[in-house]
Amino acid sequence: MRAPFSSLFAGRPRRAPAALALFVAAMAAMPLVAGDYLLSVLILVLFAAYLAQAWNIMMGFAGLLSIGHALYIGIGAYASAALFVHYGTSPWIGMLAGVTIAALAGAAIGALSFRFKVGGVYFALLTIAFAEFTRILADHFGWIGASSGLFLPVANRATSDVWHLRGAPVMFYYLLLAAVLALLALGRLLLGRRIGYYWQAIREDEEAAKALGIDVFRCKLAAVTLSAGLTAVAGVFHAFYYNNLYPETIFAIGRSVELMLPAIIGGLGTLFGPILGAFLLTGLSEALTNATADWGIDGLKQLLYGLVLAIVVVLRPDGIWPWIAARLGLGAAPHPPASRVPPSARERSEGALPQGQP
Amino acid sequence: MGKETSRRLSRRAFGRGAAAAGALVAAPALLRWRAGAAEPVKIGVLLPRSGFLALIGQACQRGCDIAVPVLKDMGYAVELMNADTESSPDVARTQAEKLIREGAHVIVGAFESGATAAIAQVAEQKGTPCVINIGSEPKITEQGYKFVFRNFPTSPMLVTNGLNRMKSFFETTGTTPKTAVLMHVNDTFGQSMLAGINALAPKIGLPFKIVETIAYDPKTRDLSIEVAKAKAAGAELHMVVTRLNDAILMIREMVKQKYEPMGVISPGSPGMYEGQFLKTLGKYADYCVSNVPWINPKQEMSQTLEKAFHKAYPDQDFDLNIGFSFEGIQICADAAKRAGSNAPQALVEALKATHIEKRVMIGGPIRFAANGQNPDQVSAAVQNRGGKPLVVLPPDSAAEKPVFPVPGWQQRT
Repeated sequence: MRAPFSSLFAGRPRRAPAALALFVAAMAAMPLVAGDYLLSVLILVLFAAYLAQAWNIMMGFAGLLSIGHALYIGIGAYASAALFVHYGTSPWIGMLAGVTIAALAGAAIGALSFRFKVGGVYFALLTIAFAEFTRILADHFGWIGASSGLFLPVANRATSDVWHLRGAPVMFYYLLLAAVLALLALGRLLLGRRIGYYWQAIREDEEAAKALGIDVFRCKLAAVTLSAGLTAVAGVFHAFYYNNLYPETIFAIGRSVELMLPAIIGGLGTLFGPILGAFLLTGLSEALTNATADWGIDGLKQLLYGLVLAIVVVLRPDGIWPWIAARLGLGAAPHPPASRVPPSARERSEGALPQGQP
Repeated sequence: MGKETSRRLSRRAFGRGAAAAGALVAAPALLRWRAGAAEPVKIGVLLPRSGFLALIGQACQRGCDIAVPVLKDMGYAVELMNADTESSPDVARTQAEKLIREGAHVIVGAFESGATAAIAQVAEQKGTPCVINIGSEPKITEQGYKFVFRNFPTSPMLVTNGLNRMKSFFETTGTTPKTAVLMHVNDTFGQSMLAGINALAPKIGLPFKIVETIAYDPKTRDLSIEVAKAKAAGAELHMVVTRLNDAILMIREMVKQKYEPMGVISPGSPGMYEGQFLKTLGKYADYCVSNVPWINPKQEMSQTLEKAFHKAYPDQDFDLNIGFSFEGIQICADAAKRAGSNAPQALVEALKATHIEKRVMIGGPIRFAANGQNPDQVSAAVQNRGGKPLVVLPPDSAAEKPVFPVPGWQQRT
């Protein structure tokens, strides 16, 4: 067990583990000082960070664009919530069911696409199509409440019941924090393994990867399956945190787009980028809400939010984290997807596959 | 010295002294309590003022905003704390937390079912009362919540009331169609209405037979095929479940295809009473009937509200969104006044005992059953007449008599 743990920081500057420890300690201590509102905002941050990390495995590592990830959130949420409501099944067991179904759904979509050479934007369109028709199916599926929604019983509790995920927001905060850190570690381990290198090779040039003998079909299928299954975990937490599910909101395209943003803004293909992106975007959203609340102009917040996103994308097209990491000395030089790297930078990095992103 | 002291400080004197000291210590707290009672009740209003429900959310906000001066004239002190849910349940939840943290004594909202369910849950967890102005999802008041109250009919109530009103509409006009075609928007709302109609029609004993049901896409730009199909069915009544844009498209196509049923009636959906429908279609919008909860034009309170509303917003629709949103604020103000305190438990107890006779919507006095639902909700028959939606039933709230069968498209001036 020592080898995988030590490999988490292999090739990193010495200050990287210290910075991570500081981050974890600060996050762990946060509920002690944060009020209810700040805690609920931080839970949103962790949800966003986790989802962006899970999506990043597909897009950031393997270069597969999915705009229908809400499908897997919905599957995880509905599977665990319906089992809990109808049979009293623990959400952890429901999570197994949700993750399995979501992974199978991801594998099916992937197999269908990759077998028939559906790639690029067409693959992205296919992911939207699956999310949309699952939403329509859910709208008519009585066992999960159809369009009327599925409600989980809510009660005020003095203590938290982790086995049934019934409890105060602080319980969800720590569970999500653990999930985010676990996914960070998993991402780091995967990138250092053969599969991680294969994914990055496929991302950079699929034909070249094929020519090198990489089983592109299996590698891409693994990325979709893993990403789908991990996304479903967030769905379970979503269901038990919000306690009500509607097909129209859980499978919404808007949700699929939202969950991509932290990874794009933070830094595609990086490990810490989605987490940083989640902090920045959720923080920005809340700050703009508070700033514009008294101005009485409806929709101004969305306008400003869009403007800030556009500015960030223009100024830092590779995301904010690689830029910050380079300045803080927290990682190796960033290796974003080649299509977004200027030719001169690409030439510099030629000849070596990325060693795992910071 | 000791003897003298003991004589001075007898047990009785000590008791008196302790009582006086206690009173002195408690005085600021008592003063604060009294001041608290006089403090205006802070109402956190959560509505979808941006996002895809922005238009309707902003209308609801106008209903809440106009309530402040109107209620002030009636001796109620209220203060609104507004938040935009951005048409998202996730944002609704965070904003509810924020409003409660910032001192909202009660929260009101939230129009959309997901957002309403989210804020109801936060209210329950925080022990802050929540009054639902608009939100028809029945399960919200079936959760055993102790802090949640709803002054809006649930979706089964809407369908039942709408279909019953249809029966009374035909009884009053003395003409009952024998057949009907049902055209409905094929989205979540349309599907749930269809399921409700199919389930309740046999129980209610509708006087006509639905010979054909035609669904259409909510984003459609052309309803020519669907309207041709409806015309071919040869039914006497055209029953619809619409939203705004499709309702306009449908009537235009009916005029174009010279499809002239005895009338167009909705058992309870938006679209046909809305200002945009009336303005766009002109005389063709007339005589369409919507069986929906509506503002009672005969109530003194609604007349006062309408006057104030049109003064503040001369170009805006005065419809059920305004009425229910106003009543949401009125309910909170009334509870705070009777409670004499803005403390959550006192407000909840007062809300449970709500009995408001002077309301703006048609229906019995506002009251709440044990589950927090107002059971006395009524749907009016609202018929467009001369470019305005007017109540034609129930008779005691009617501004005009109902017309059925309606004049043909070409017979209108």
